[in-house]
Amino acid sequence: MQKYPLTTLSQLFLLTLCLSFSACREDFLEIGLFAELEETNFMQSESDARLATNAIYNVLREWRYHGGFPIIDIMSDDAGKGSNPTDGIQILAFDDFTFTPDAASVSGWYSQLYVGVKRANLVINRTPEITDMSELSKAQLIGEARFLRALTYFQLVRVYGDVPLILTVNPERKVARTPANEVYDLIIEDLQYAAENLLERSDYPAEELGRATRGAAKGLLAKVYLFRSDFANAEKFALEVINSAEYSLDPDFANALSATGEFGSGSLFEVGATDDGFTQGGHQYGNTQGIRGTPDRGWGFNRPTYDLIQAFDSDDPRMDATIAFLGEMLGGIVLQGDPTTPDTVYFEGTNQIKELECYNQKAWTPGTTPLASWDHNVRMLRYADVLLIAAEALNENSKANEALVYLNQVRERARGGNPNTLPEIMETDQTALRQLIWEERRLELALEQHRFFDLVRTGQAATVLGPLGFVAGKHELFPIPQSEIDLSEGTLSQNPGW
Amino acid sequence: MTTRIYFCVLFLTIQAFAYGQGLKIEGTVTAEDDGQPLAGASVVLLGTNRGVNTDAEGKFQITLNKAEDSLQISYYGYLSQVVKPSRQRLLNIQLVADAQSLDDVVVIGYGRMRKSDLTGSVYSVRGDDLVKNPAANPLQALQGKVPGVQISSASGNPGESPIVRIRGIATLLGGAGPVFVVDGVILDDISFLNSGDIESIEVLKDASATAIYGTRGANGVIIISTKRGVAGKPRVQFSASHSLESVANQIDLLNGREFAAVVNEIAPATYNNIDLLPNVDWQDLIFQDNAPIQQYELSTSGAEGRHSYYLGGSYYRQEGVIERSAYERITLKLNNSFKATSFLTLGNNLTFSQERKEFGPNVVASAYRAWPTNEPLDDEGNFLEVMGSGNPIAALNFGENYNRRLRAIANLYAEVKFLKDFTFRSSYQADLAYTKSTFFSPVFFVSPTQQNETSDLAKTARDEATWIFENTLRYNKNLENHRFEVLAGYTAQSTKREGLTGTIENLLRERPEFYYLDAGDGTTIDAFNNLESFAYISYLFRFNYVLKDRYLFTATFRRDGSSKFGPENRYGNFPALALGWRLSEEPFLQSFSALSNLKLRASWGINGNDQIPFRSRFARVNGNSLEAVFGQDESLFPGATLADAGNPDLQWEDTETIDIGLEFGFFDNKLTGEIDYFNKRTNRVLVPLLLPAHFGNGPFRRVVFNAADIRNVGLEFFVNWKEQRGDFVYSISLLGSRLRNETLDIGAADEFIQDGSLGNGQLVTRTETGIPVGSFYGFKVAGVFQNEEELGQFPTLSGQRVGDLRYEDINGDGTINTDDRTILGSYIPDYLFGFNFSVGYKGFTLDADIQGQQGNEIYNGKRAVRPELYNYEGYIRDRWTGEGTSDTQPRLTTGGVNYSPSDWFIEDGSFLRLRSLTLSYDFSSSLVRRLRMQDVRLFLRGTNLYTLSRFSGYSPELASANVLSSGIDLGTYPITSVYTIGLNISL
Repeated sequence: MQKYPLTTLSQLFLLTLCLSFSACREDFLEIGLFAELEETNFMQSESDARLATNAIYNVLREWRYHGGFPIIDIMSDDAGKGSNPTDGIQILAFDDFTFTPDAASVSGWYSQLYVGVKRANLVINRTPEITDMSELSKAQLIGEARFLRALTYFQLVRVYGDVPLILTVNPERKVARTPANEVYDLIIEDLQYAAENLLERSDYPAEELGRATRGAAKGLLAKVYLFRSDFANAEKFALEVINSAEYSLDPDFANALSATGEFGSGSLFEVGATDDGFTQGGHQYGNTQGIRGTPDRGWGFNRPTYDLIQAFDSDDPRMDATIAFLGEMLGGIVLQGDPTTPDTVYFEGTNQIKELECYNQKAWTPGTTPLASWDHNVRMLRYADVLLIAAEALNENSKANEALVYLNQVRERARGGNPNTLPEIMETDQTALRQLIWEERRLELALEQHRFFDLVRTGQAATVLGPLGFVAGKHELFPIPQSEIDLSEGTLSQNPGW
Repeated sequence: MTTRIYFCVLFLTIQAFAYGQGLKIEGTVTAEDDGQPLAGASVVLLGTNRGVNTDAEGKFQITLNKAEDSLQISYYGYLSQVVKPSRQRLLNIQLVADAQSLDDVVVIGYGRMRKSDLTGSVYSVRGDDLVKNPAANPLQALQGKVPGVQISSASGNPGESPIVRIRGIATLLGGAGPVFVVDGVILDDISFLNSGDIESIEVLKDASATAIYGTRGANGVIIISTKRGVAGKPRVQFSASHSLESVANQIDLLNGREFAAVVNEIAPATYNNIDLLPNVDWQDLIFQDNAPIQQYELSTSGAEGRHSYYLGGSYYRQEGVIERSAYERITLKLNNSFKATSFLTLGNNLTFSQERKEFGPNVVASAYRAWPTNEPLDDEGNFLEVMGSGNPIAALNFGENYNRRLRAIANLYAEVKFLKDFTFRSSYQADLAYTKSTFFSPVFFVSPTQQNETSDLAKTARDEATWIFENTLRYNKNLENHRFEVLAGYTAQSTKREGLTGTIENLLRERPEFYYLDAGDGTTIDAFNNLESFAYISYLFRFNYVLKDRYLFTATFRRDGSSKFGPENRYGNFPALALGWRLSEEPFLQSFSALSNLKLRASWGINGNDQIPFRSRFARVNGNSLEAVFGQDESLFPGATLADAGNPDLQWEDTETIDIGLEFGFFDNKLTGEIDYFNKRTNRVLVPLLLPAHFGNGPFRRVVFNAADIRNVGLEFFVNWKEQRGDFVYSISLLGSRLRNETLDIGAADEFIQDGSLGNGQLVTRTETGIPVGSFYGFKVAGVFQNEEELGQFPTLSGQRVGDLRYEDINGDGTINTDDRTILGSYIPDYLFGFNFSVGYKGFTLDADIQGQQGNEIYNGKRAVRPELYNYEGYIRDRWTGEGTSDTQPRLTTGGVNYSPSDWFIEDGSFLRLRSLTLSYDFSSSLVRRLRMQDVRLFLRGTNLYTLSRFSGYSPELASANVLSSGIDLGTYPITSVYTIGLNISL
């Protein structure tokens, strides 16, 4: 009688303990993710690889991938800060070269570019391990990823010079800077792979225009060689693009850069976007530079300088297509601009114009709301650029007559049938022609984020930008972000002059 | 001897004795007050270990060894009695309830304890004090009642849960609030509870008390015990109250005339005939006076035989002082305990509630900004455009947001007593919640900036379930000079929370019958769905030892495993040790007759905090917003990649606390009090740090690391005086605390965390090494530039003119730039205090509760945000208008440089508030008895009647769940003054 209930109790107790320990199994605490994958489980199929590749293109739509505020144009002689006098006051420091290594734009751009590097590295490194995928598909996706990695490193190396060369998904914490020429070696290697493995533009269905192509890879390669002053290779690849007959200049310059000209015949590489927020496919690039005030299309940064306006021949149709002036009719609305921005600014004590309220028309998108301006596709590489690269390389390679063919193609299109402007250039003196090609580059590619790099590349920066605050030996490169130097605990050095 | 076996064994033994030389005694144990039998009372043969328990009818049988033997009869909550049966064979014993002893038992983690045996800092509040507030949330009744505990209303929005901070702020990113334990179930929110159902609230503050809750205890623990049935006549209680609430004060804003004059100064000749302009008081228009609150409760409880029960229901409804804000709650509470056999008790605690909350748009900010020269409606009743940030009245009309939350909390338990001193308890607990939210915005047009082109609907359903399985084994032993309690336990918890949201546009009709996704344009549908899941396994252990009622020792240990951390860091150990010394029990202090209690206690221990998102440790791949856009028709191509960097090395934050306390009582405990010093240091605090950019995490993206340290040091006390002189009863209590909060280390050199977003890009708080968490940060105003000369003499920010604020050159480098920003104050008060007073004469009682805080600052963010021309506060009347006119207020501007973060926006947040004033009358018992009732009480109460404060806004009581960004007033829904009349009846 004494034992029976005790046993019952013991049993109850043991039962409870068993229940307890069944919960106690180690996997009870092993709870993973839901609706998401752990990093180590990613890229196991061709579908994964396609998703990962698309995600690299996605980063090109990130605001800071292109510098955020259009600082690289603001630093050139083509544009000032823009907007109204108080908005984005910190960006003025890029206009007058007083920015410092701890500026948010300096670190933000750098960080965003490395997001592109990481996403590309993921595809490049993990696609080969996928078992159920054809070699052809692999080469295509790796080709796209290598093109995008090259594009990104090309930006990094031109902006920051020597940078950590990251080729893996999970790098070491401390990585020293790799000399710029080695970064260029990787860029060239990536682009050569892309040129060999990617399809031509015409091989893509219309709905996939925007993916990297063989033409884009070769065009970018030509440009990279130009920046390396390897004019033989620049010529070679520019001509390969030209001779591929994949591209042609849109007869209407204005259309080439407008919403209707997106993914047009003269576009080697551009970033697609929709008229909506980032998460719905939009790109804030156009919004940042969109007209401020009436009609309200954005913040109005990157104001074309009076100097740029004057650089155009007054009959050059490109001036009107590049610059949106007050009073101009755009999309059926008369541009009135921003009430807090002075319409005209004069040099102190003079009646000499310093700045007019005007906007970058190349970033203009028709529509009815500010969101429409998120629709703008950034043209990263245009056929006109390739033609001018060809012209410049040919001239450097002492083939002035051939160079003139391509230079005049650009001018002819720009002329738009107006016989009173942009006469055909016949100059064959190498030095004089070089200058003319550079000037053509400025006008053709104004406000498209090329001018500052071209000024540095051609050694004109100190002369042209000196009056604006540019210091030779310092401002050719951005500083490495101060936060990066601090975090590196001595591994990263700073650029000269900073 | 509590189990049936022993009862059986004993019975046999008694039989044996009966046939031998023993003397068999029978008896009944009843309660003296109502004559009800006491089941389970212990009857022990004095000087032996032999004894029995009474049965359900209070009856017992025992056999004496010899006729002179004495019996000790004891029952929980009653005074023990020793009886000497002599020759008596049938005993009738009446036990007297021991009010003192009931008060002296406090609820602690996984058990109860005599207050005198406690070694930790535990503050106990009894039910009566909790119903003094017409607020829905029981915590609001604790405001100013518990030393070291800050309870603040985040806003006056009906149904808003208050923010609780126990002994400062010990975390940066994690949850900083305490954990709640309701009848043993661990929860993080108690808005579902009706105050009337609560028996007691215990606030556990030091590590000795909280360490048993391991990773959940670092921010303190609040244990809530709900009412149970007690032996005696069944009780029926009914209470009803009706309140009216109104906004206590208005912000001094410019009226139409004044505003127009100011506008004319900015843009001359804007208004030509100021006297003909409308003069709209927007605050008057959005706030309604005397918004009603109703509250009804009905409960019944009792204990009969083996069964004790409590059944309570309540209804609460509050209309807000702003239209379209309301809160309604229905609760049902059922507590049962059933003594199945002499050794087995089964029971349950069940709570069911439905809360319905309606919240309109925040029109407090838009009423603050609206131009007083604009009318809300035209003659036909159409909404007019109002400059500022839209027409507030229109905003109220065009937006319907409400949610409904169903919640069930269940605790089913079985308790087995065996081998005399052992108790095994097993319980299965569930916390289930289902919330459905509806957001609807119709098509409307008020002005180009206040319009909605397509109707929008968003529906969210959230399903949350927590299961806890808990087993504890307790051993209790009371010897003459020694008392032991050993507790060992094991618990496992699993929590899953799933959310499903759908949004759609263009509803077929704009009526509630169409607030379903099916009624919208299917091409616009968007849906989101995710699951959060985590689990815990814990082992707990406690050892209590009391020597000679004087020397107290407690050791606690908990080992917690949490799925939130990787296999390497999964388990954490949380120990605590505490000592107590009841000096008043020492012989050498017996001669001080005035001294009734003196206890010194000291504790040390470690707690954890794991309130971080469950997936923070993982590097995650997802496809959220990673699309590429290709083609001339701009199609989105889905993408997926390594999106979020995780930190696989994450672990809980650990808080090490030292507490030294002194408790005292004088003059038969008429005067009681407690003083505590604490030093709480939290290490491995999670902090977001930058990683090198080449990891590719993205611009300014940070990853959390266990890298910061925070310290909270403080002193807290209370004294209480209670006296009765004839019909005159009164009590006074005073409590206060001093706190110093400091970020000892932010985890990396020169690092800081910025927060305190005003929504206009300005971040006004900073957390860095050496300062309190979330300190205000900006320029210090040194004066106003009086003339051109000063403008040239002092360093300036670009764009500054005469009449603008002159900022102090903090680093003295001759220029003003971002390096000249400095710490401007902290939202954390230095002192908290409370003063409670009660006086009763015959049936009348007057209670007053006063609460306050001192030494905290408020950032008046609503004043700082001026992207365009808004109405101004009255301070603008004192603006600088020329040399020598003001050295504190700048010239008139619509925004710009004077609105940079600075101490111009800092206000003193100290206040003293008459929290409640109650006059009640208990009807005389003869009258009440004639009505066959036990008690009838009528009361009148005013809540938040008066606030002494220098703050210019509605209420200085501002709080936010985000510890990095608190004390910022961006247009907070005001806290109201409430007048209540109520009636309590018990049968």
